[in-house]
Amino acid sequence: MRIESEAGLRTLQAAGIQKLKPKQPRIAVGLATCGAAVGGRKVYESLREAIDRAGADIDLVTVGCIGYCREEPLVNITIPQKPLVILHRVSEADADEIVHSVMDDQVPEDKALCRVPSWDHVTGVVMQYGKGFANIPLYEDVPFFAPQRKVILRNAGFINPEEISEYFAIGGYAAAWKALHGMQPEAIIAEVEKSGLRGRGGAGFPTGLKWRITRDAPGGTDKYLICNGDEGDPGAYMNRNEMESDPHMLIEGMIIGAYAMGLKNGLIYIRSEYPLAIERLGTAIRQAREYGLLGDNIMGTGFSFDIRITRGAGAFVCGESTALVASIEGRTGRPHPRPPRLTDPEGGLFKKPSDLNNVETWCNVPAIVANGSGWYAALGAANNTGTKVFSLVGKVDRVGLVEVPLGTTITTIVFDAGNGGANGKKVKAVQTGGPSGGCIPLRLFDTPVDFESLNRAGTIMGSGGIVVMDEDTDMVDIARYFTGFATGESCGKCVPCREGLKHTLLLINRIQAGKATGKDLAILQEVCETIAATSLCGLGQTAPNPVLTTLSYFREEYEAKVRP
Amino acid sequence: MTHGSSEQNDVPEKPVIITINGRPCRAGKGETVLAVAIREGIPVPHLCHEESLAPYGACRLCLVEAGKPGKTEMTTACTLKAADGLEVITDTPQIVKHRSILFELYLAEAPKSEVIKEMAARYGVTKTRFLKKMETDDPLSEKCVLCGLCVRVCNEIMGAGAINFINRGPYTVVNTPFLEPSADCYGCGACVKVCPTHAVVMEEAGSERVMRSWSGTRVPLAACSCCGMYYAPRELAARTLAALDPHLDQDLAGLCPACRGKRIAEREILARQGGAGNHA
Ligand SMILES: Cc1cc2nc3c(=O)[nH]c(=O)nc-3n(C[C@H](O)[C@H](O)[C@H](O)COP(=O)(O)O)c2cc1C
Ligand code: SF4
Ligand code: FES
Repeated sequence: MRIESEAGLRTLQAAGIQKLKPKQPRIAVGLATCGAAVGGRKVYESLREAIDRAGADIDLVTVGCIGYCREEPLVNITIPQKPLVILHRVSEADADEIVHSVMDDQVPEDKALCRVPSWDHVTGVVMQYGKGFANIPLYEDVPFFAPQRKVILRNAGFINPEEISEYFAIGGYAAAWKALHGMQPEAIIAEVEKSGLRGRGGAGFPTGLKWRITRDAPGGTDKYLICNGDEGDPGAYMNRNEMESDPHMLIEGMIIGAYAMGLKNGLIYIRSEYPLAIERLGTAIRQAREYGLLGDNIMGTGFSFDIRITRGAGAFVCGESTALVASIEGRTGRPHPRPPRLTDPEGGLFKKPSDLNNVETWCNVPAIVANGSGWYAALGAANNTGTKVFSLVGKVDRVGLVEVPLGTTITTIVFDAGNGGANGKKVKAVQTGGPSGGCIPLRLFDTPVDFESLNRAGTIMGSGGIVVMDEDTDMVDIARYFTGFATGESCGKCVPCREGLKHTLLLINRIQAGKATGKDLAILQEVCETIAATSLCGLGQTAPNPVLTTLSYFREEYEAKVRP
Repeated sequence: MTHGSSEQNDVPEKPVIITINGRPCRAGKGETVLAVAIREGIPVPHLCHEESLAPYGACRLCLVEAGKPGKTEMTTACTLKAADGLEVITDTPQIVKHRSILFELYLAEAPKSEVIKEMAARYGVTKTRFLKKMETDDPLSEKCVLCGLCVRVCNEIMGAGAINFINRGPYTVVNTPFLEPSADCYGCGACVKVCPTHAVVMEEAGSERVMRSWSGTRVPLAACSCCGMYYAPRELAARTLAALDPHLDQDLAGLCPACRGKRIAEREILARQGGAGNHA
């Protein structure tokens, strides 16, 4: 079963395509956590029963999520020679109708969201499905999808995340083959550097540079490569979907990174609140080992690398690099001052130099290796290359995961993809970057979403959560919500964050209770500036952003609540 | 810094000179800016620094402006290693502003602490605009500022691990697990000694030492076999004696320090006189 030749990989790919486009029709139910939450499992079970009742020759499988959360449960139908059709808002009651249509090579068109005649899986494979169903809109004409460019979510919702063969089908592990068999580690790092890829965990640190520092650190192969899957900001769930919908993409990225950095230990840190991601990654790691893609002598190259999963207890602060290491080592998740950084010998996991990258950062790697740095650098904007997945949530009409090139404006994301406010309400602002970010008012929606422009607006990219607020939203209450979150998640080590945030919350509560004066507003501003300037770690340094940005952009809302 | 290619071992390392508030100061290898300032008598407030422990950076009071000329940033002096040519300023308007807020936060957090009041007053802060913490029955007498020193000496130096942080964020407190008397506490009192605000309370009660702040943990004391005075936690004394190499004589082992001194002096005298004195 071990892959030791390119021909072997191609044989597996051909076998995988037989699963994606079998001779018989295939029905695939979107079952990431989001799909399951709105009844996807019941839909799956009733489809199972309906197929059995009809004695139909139809494959029924699970896929991940294509990201259009508002329309779930989503069900894909693949009929030979026909376009893949995505059905939306499917319920248990629809099962018999769906199965009977499919038996007649038809789909229930009133349930169809769109059709996909062919799909570019980015890593070298364009899956041709077929023609027909002209009455059903094309994927690219669906307004939610139209502004999107799927690179990271290239396979999400199309392949079964529990079947490595379907990952082979779309060209999976070909990038790892190319890297391990055809490229020097140094060349891979140079390629990642040239691609301009910057970390998707929030700070936007150049990934290639971090790899180079890790590679050059002393310690031979006994270093750690860590994937940060802690994803703790309220409103952010792209990493969860990436892990649940396409776990092998992450693993392949990590294999390539490990080879480039010349290290043998890999670790994925995931919060325990993500049981399905943990389960699917566990399955994917086992499968990758069976095929000789992890473990000793990967793909017959003599290179060895393996991945373990570590579960976190779900503390936001454990996403911070030094707290994350403490947590993995079994200590309390409290940050320590840097340096030493993780890449330093004394600062890494178990005192070994360590590279830490976000889930989505890793997911970009196979695409970069497969298509080259030039292709990647042409996506997005200067110095902000590539695409980014945003979770568009809150009071927006179309809730879901939106993947767009960096540099896309907030307007495009919120109005073109998201269709503005839910229930026809007027949008007033968005919060990006979760509790570490800030609010951007409507008048600044021309701001391109890139690391620097967001910083200039007083907020941050963070992991990519975008929470929409409408005319009914009380901005002071928004500030209170995020401050409350940060206060509860503060580790309590340093005084500005521990005590400062507590008093910030007390002050906002006073304002909300109508008991505050103008003086309290001044204290609020002062204490927030000190928290930002003097906290030990990124949590405290950024936690005042929701207050500071609402104070500056929506001051009138505060002033209306305080006595002079 | 390397200069020249054929450095010999006996060539002394180039001394590290930093300037603090314009004054050149010599720094030892690996020394922190805070350690240099303390040695030079330059006032930099600090609560969580302890020479024998690794830099921790929790109290955030030791803010300084530091860097190369023209390219400085505000940082904590206790976590900043002295590098040659480093320029440090201890009181910029920005530092004064932030430090004052931090002192106000401390005054609200530990309203009963005289140490904090005096320290804040030295930097011009005598009042806090924040709501003062009110707690009844605080085992740390409303004086704890969570600097972490007690926890760290207990864990990292004594290796006892009797106390630790409980909860997180503003709910953080220091105490024993489950707020129960600790079986791991040696009663060594290092926590008492290291606490900058004198928050940790320890008492002697006859044959026991009572760690009032640590859930009333009681530690039996050893009595001097000569004068009967209780002189040290029993288990800690036994462990310390067991670790001595060479071992202490049997007849010295059970004595309090005063009696031990006396006994040693007696022996010296006996040895010199070559026999039993008549004035013992
Ligand atoms: C409070 C806090 C929480 C964080 N949470 C996460 C997280 O959930 N996921 C993540 O990838 N990075 C998180 N980070 C950023 C990480 O410390 C680190 O910068 C990142 O994982 C590096 O990966 P990248 O270079 O690929 O972005 C957090 C940082 C802070 C200060
Ligand atoms: S800023 Fe907050 S989370 Fe970070 S070390 Fe300080 S108290 Fe802990
Ligand atoms: S002494 Fe530097 S932060 Fe406490």
